[in-house]
Amino acid sequence: MTVSTGTSAPVEQTRIALGRSLRVALLHGREATSRRAVAHLALASGAEIVARVRATDRRSFVEAAQALRDAKPDVVVIQGGLKDEAALAELLEALRLGCGAQRPMPRVFGLVDTPMARVLRLHASPFEFERFAAAPEIVATLRDLRRAGNGDIELRDALIEDAARALATTNATTALAVDVTERSTSLVLARPDGRIEAAHLVPLGLGMGADHVVVRASLDNVRRWLPWPIDAPALLERVFNRTRQSEGPATTEAAVLLEMALAREAIAHALRDAADAGLDVAAMRSAPSILVTGRVASFPKAGQSLLVLVDGLEPSAVSTVFREPDKGHAERIGMVVSVVARRPAKIQIVRASGRSAARVVPGSFGLVTMGADVEVAVDGAGVRGHGRSGELGVLIDARGRPLVLPERDGERIPAVAQWHAALQATAEDRSSK
Amino acid sequence: MWRRERWSADHSLPIGVTTRAAVGDHVRAGDIIGAGATLAGALRVPGARRLGLAPTDFDRELRVPVGSDVVAGALLARVGRRFPRSVTAPTDGRLLHITVDGDLYIAPIVDRWKVRATLDGVVARSDDAVVEVEGEAWCLQGAAAFGPDAIGELMLGVDGPGADLAASRIDVRLGGRIIVGGAQISAEVITRAHACGVAGLVAGGVPPAGLRVVYGDSVTAAGSPSRDDRPTVLCLMGFGSAALPRAVFEPLAALGGARAAIHTRSARLFVFSSAEIGRAEAPSPDVVLTGEGPAAYVPARPHADVDQGGAREEPAQSDEELSPSASDRGARGRGP
Repeated sequence: MTVSTGTSAPVEQTRIALGRSLRVALLHGREATSRRAVAHLALASGAEIVARVRATDRRSFVEAAQALRDAKPDVVVIQGGLKDEAALAELLEALRLGCGAQRPMPRVFGLVDTPMARVLRLHASPFEFERFAAAPEIVATLRDLRRAGNGDIELRDALIEDAARALATTNATTALAVDVTERSTSLVLARPDGRIEAAHLVPLGLGMGADHVVVRASLDNVRRWLPWPIDAPALLERVFNRTRQSEGPATTEAAVLLEMALAREAIAHALRDAADAGLDVAAMRSAPSILVTGRVASFPKAGQSLLVLVDGLEPSAVSTVFREPDKGHAERIGMVVSVVARRPAKIQIVRASGRSAARVVPGSFGLVTMGADVEVAVDGAGVRGHGRSGELGVLIDARGRPLVLPERDGERIPAVAQWHAALQATAEDRSSK
Repeated sequence: MWRRERWSADHSLPIGVTTRAAVGDHVRAGDIIGAGATLAGALRVPGARRLGLAPTDFDRELRVPVGSDVVAGALLARVGRRFPRSVTAPTDGRLLHITVDGDLYIAPIVDRWKVRATLDGVVARSDDAVVEVEGEAWCLQGAAAFGPDAIGELMLGVDGPGADLAASRIDVRLGGRIIVGGAQISAEVITRAHACGVAGLVAGGVPPAGLRVVYGDSVTAAGSPSRDDRPTVLCLMGFGSAALPRAVFEPLAALGGARAAIHTRSARLFVFSSAEIGRAEAPSPDVVLTGEGPAAYVPARPHADVDQGGAREEPAQSDEELSPSASDRGARGRGP
């Protein structure tokens, strides 16, 4: 045995953070592939998109220049094909006019071939122009900028990607990590071979980014998830004041339910942006393993985390769901079986202790209780797969896809309340509301 | 909380700047520190190619500095003696930009704009995008601000920190003033105040639904500074209704009548007064209720109480001499 007699050394501490906010303007060619490429870059790097300008943008030269000036970008990412060269060169002239006096000057990152880079570099002067051969290099550079030279910072999005990769490798299946924080929402799809597709949206979250959820999703779309009636001005006030509150888990049931409503829309909009950037959203929805982290994983009840996930993500297959709060260990919380049936159907549930049949009525939503950690296989009604039940058991979701909520309060509120009750996502005593 | 120290306020300039204050200039809140033209769609005019010049040599032949106003047919550049070639303006407008290729952008002028200082002080930075002013003032940091910067005389519109400002108390006599609205101001008050020419409103809170009515659905809790003709609102505490703490309200009352400015980008209220309000025994307002309307809430002795230093504050200045912008200065004598 060796006993150290030396002086104690401090433990190396790594700080997990979102990094500094990086404002990115996207200039892209006329093709949809070009638009998707730059959007993918921005989402993968966790940068905030402050302007998007297409090569064939209808705005005049002056308007484009003013939009870029108002956006105050830290970085301008430019991508396009050969036939976009002249139009992109003109956009760089607009950038020179708009941001020539900005300090520090924006940097221009080009994902273009070498001859085109040579031309665009001329038009980008006096801005620093860097050509990148591949998207991952730009993503790495953008992340370095977010670290602002502080090597001690471990970016939260990188950590979420590691978690998704680890889950995929461990289970040898595709895995999805869903992370919703105060200011950001992330979706990371990891495949067993280590490849990942990631979308990190900033600002879009439950605290400082809550108002952005309302702006993007509309207030009515947030309100529709609440199992009680609330008038729009009162809800808006709560949301706006969230942006000024200090971080910390919600303490009252009303606050938890509001966070749940915001989280659903944040996840849904992250999916929309991911689809817009050409990410494989179908694979995200059908991932056999799903990990929930961040504020959504820190809700008091596992059912609350699971409900937010199924409403926001709308899984389309059989998935095992885990959650890992920021201050806690990962736990398996349940298995989701998504059934799309037009008429009543049966699904077989097979486990080591035997098999059973569940009758699924279209629109139904509920838990099948079973042991906390049971290997389960399901078959029938257009769904087939296997996974492990968690603390809550197996959730059979036959509400259909896409999930449509009744418009009238009188029909929607009871339905939403019923879904909450099915997952024990609300307390018996509602007095805290 | 209130703090009196040296502050910095940056003022973004739109594209089309004609003149702006120079670094080192002394300015007062309300002074024009930048002016320019609002431009419509620009025309691209071949320059170096038409003259048969290399783009790098084109600057030398340019007869009009970039940033100048030109009339249709004005000579912009010319080369040659026996066989001259020239570039002329195709339309009235502003010579806006010269490209790397040596082409020119000329944009018609559709309007004029002015940017006014929100601080008494010295211009610390001045370029075609920003004029930054540094100066000393009393400052109250707010939560969020909406609309354009505002400059005017500070005036108490309520009789207590927990009172809401009623729309009926706003009329045209308050034009040009910054009104302190207590715990809450509604959308009706905001729109009425704007219609009556009130420079700005300050309150503990503003209902976000009201903000959406006035500023649109894209408004966020971070505020929305703008340049267009909209009301100016500063939320000090948050959203909804928020009674102002005494430590905030009493100095506001004591500073009534002083020149003030709302800098919306930083959500700050600057007040230009030498009054000492940091002390606990800062005077509370003597509000005289003499009838209905805003006049009823004017402090009885605004300057006597506020300005203990004895220097009576002057009203906001509205105009000033300007120095030309950098792009104008170099070639002023070479105009067409």
